[in-house]
Amino acid sequence: MTYFLQYLLIGFLTGGLYSAFAVTVVLVYKATHVASLAHGQILAFGAVFFYWCIAVLQLPISVSFLVALALAGVLGFIIERLTMRPLIGEPLFTSFLMTFAVFMFLDGVFNLYVAGETRFIPPFLPQGNMGIGKLIIAEQRASNFVMTLLPALIVIGFFKYSKVGLRMRATAENHRLAQSAGIRVKNIFSIIWIFSSILAAVAGIGCATIMNIHYPLPYNGLKGLLVALVGGLDSIGGAILAGLLVGVIESLAAGYVDPLTEVGGTSEVVAYVLLLFILLVKPYGLFGLARIERI
Amino acid sequence: MRPCGVFDERYETDMAIIRTWQHWTILLGTIGLLFCIPLFASYYFISLLNGIFITSVMVLGLQIIMGYCGQVSLGQAAFMAVGGFVSALLTLKLGLSFWLALPLSGLSAGLIGLIGGAPSLRVKEFYLAMSTVAIHYVIIWLITHLKITGYTQGLVAPPPAIGNFVFNTEERMYYIILMVTLLLTFYARNLIRGNVGRIFIAIRDNDLAAEVMGVNIFKYKMLAFFVSCFYAGIAGSLLAHWYQIVNVEQFTLNHALLYIGMIIVGGMGSIPGAFFGVFLLRLLDEFVLTVSPMLAHKFPQLGMTPAASLGVMCFGIVLVLFLLYEPRGIAHRWEIFKASYRIYPYRK
Repeated sequence: MTYFLQYLLIGFLTGGLYSAFAVTVVLVYKATHVASLAHGQILAFGAVFFYWCIAVLQLPISVSFLVALALAGVLGFIIERLTMRPLIGEPLFTSFLMTFAVFMFLDGVFNLYVAGETRFIPPFLPQGNMGIGKLIIAEQRASNFVMTLLPALIVIGFFKYSKVGLRMRATAENHRLAQSAGIRVKNIFSIIWIFSSILAAVAGIGCATIMNIHYPLPYNGLKGLLVALVGGLDSIGGAILAGLLVGVIESLAAGYVDPLTEVGGTSEVVAYVLLLFILLVKPYGLFGLARIERI
Repeated sequence: MRPCGVFDERYETDMAIIRTWQHWTILLGTIGLLFCIPLFASYYFISLLNGIFITSVMVLGLQIIMGYCGQVSLGQAAFMAVGGFVSALLTLKLGLSFWLALPLSGLSAGLIGLIGGAPSLRVKEFYLAMSTVAIHYVIIWLITHLKITGYTQGLVAPPPAIGNFVFNTEERMYYIILMVTLLLTFYARNLIRGNVGRIFIAIRDNDLAAEVMGVNIFKYKMLAFFVSCFYAGIAGSLLAHWYQIVNVEQFTLNHALLYIGMIIVGGMGSIPGAFFGVFLLRLLDEFVLTVSPMLAHKFPQLGMTPAASLGVMCFGIVLVLFLLYEPRGIAHRWEIFKASYRIYPYRK
């Protein structure tokens, strides 16, 4: 029982990272109807900026955190301006391919920077362990969980309760109607990209503290997309729940299924199997809105 | 667009793939030239061509599923891996000859592709793309975790042979690869001009409308998946026996993304477009390979081997530019060029 709860807890904490990233994907999808691959790279670049500030320039933690987020926001803004905005009015599929092209370009830049090495972010979160009853929690993981999910919750609150958030939701509902009601849809797109990039950067810093900066970091973005699909691409709450669910399932698979198999490693694919299953049963995710299509 | 005075007078001429005697001359001339290349070209050039042709087979399959049927598949590299591993297993463990293993590997990849295409029953576009990514990871995971596929080391694939004649050099493999490519190009062109191709295009343009018109969408989507995965399997088998080794590192998700990029650059929904895309991006690769040592020499802070990352970067830039300025790819430019010389001296 203790083992079970321990696995559950570990999965829950890892799942927080997935949730945080899935929220960024959902934000962009809700507003622009484009599922962005490029955010996987923004995630990685957020981590790189943070590393650059804290380890190379030796800035204090809070300053480097803010600088990294600001730089990521700028990066998101530039991407939106240069590549996504000219495509407004084109088929959505072209925009999706464009995010993929941006992903490839930034992947090249990222690998050029990383150059096959691994960079370690100096430990800036508490390092010890704490215990609740018989359970052991690494304080780093726990604070990481809070650090990544808190900004996501703030942005969700902003989305729900502020005036700009209201405009964003109107834009998400229908671009044309929002435009005719006097909302500047293009500006909303920019704001969404900046916000989501900042969130992605936070998730990236969270990821990098656990798995360091080396070449597979951007591919965590794919995991985030997967989680967003499991939860439903247009449901923020669904994204958070699905992230925790995927984290827990992976952890349970690592704990209980891996010892039974010959070589182990089932936790690497169990999330993908889950996605396939869910897409077959509930095509628009657990909490997604079913689309009604007309000719 | 036809030149003045060229009309289709019979149904056969209307349906013909090759319409005029000029076409026949150019086609036969090109094929003849391709067959003569090993007589004068260098070893390196031939191996480059081998790579290009194998990739072309792969991309032709992707063109059918993505360019014509409109279903995004990011899992093609995994299906290619299935073909390669099945072919290696059949020749190595069962001792079948390559000539039997080649079509069998295509068929098995196609059948696995049917499983991969099953989500297309319920989802499309982006959702389908992600589900094929999931299938990619599942297949690659299985390959690296099964004993029969040699875990991560992969397998050794013996070179093809007829009697005592072993196809173990680049020139000899070149002829096999060229023949298969020509055959499959013809088959793709033939598939697209007929009933099936029209249905694929209808599904791409509006699947709901196609269903209302009486098309059994699921059947034809599955057919598209089968055919494209068959192509991927054949390409995988050729690759395995060409390198004489098959390993999951040849079939990463990056490869699948690269193939999608080739489709975009070449132009979706065009058979020559597949070749344009492959040629252009391979040329870009070669260019980067020649330039990057100089760059590494000039700017030592780039690291010793910037070629791989610079290649991906250039690939990304080319994709962005194409999507912004010519979303229909080189094939569209090629059509414009053909139309303009056919109606010369007039202009549009």
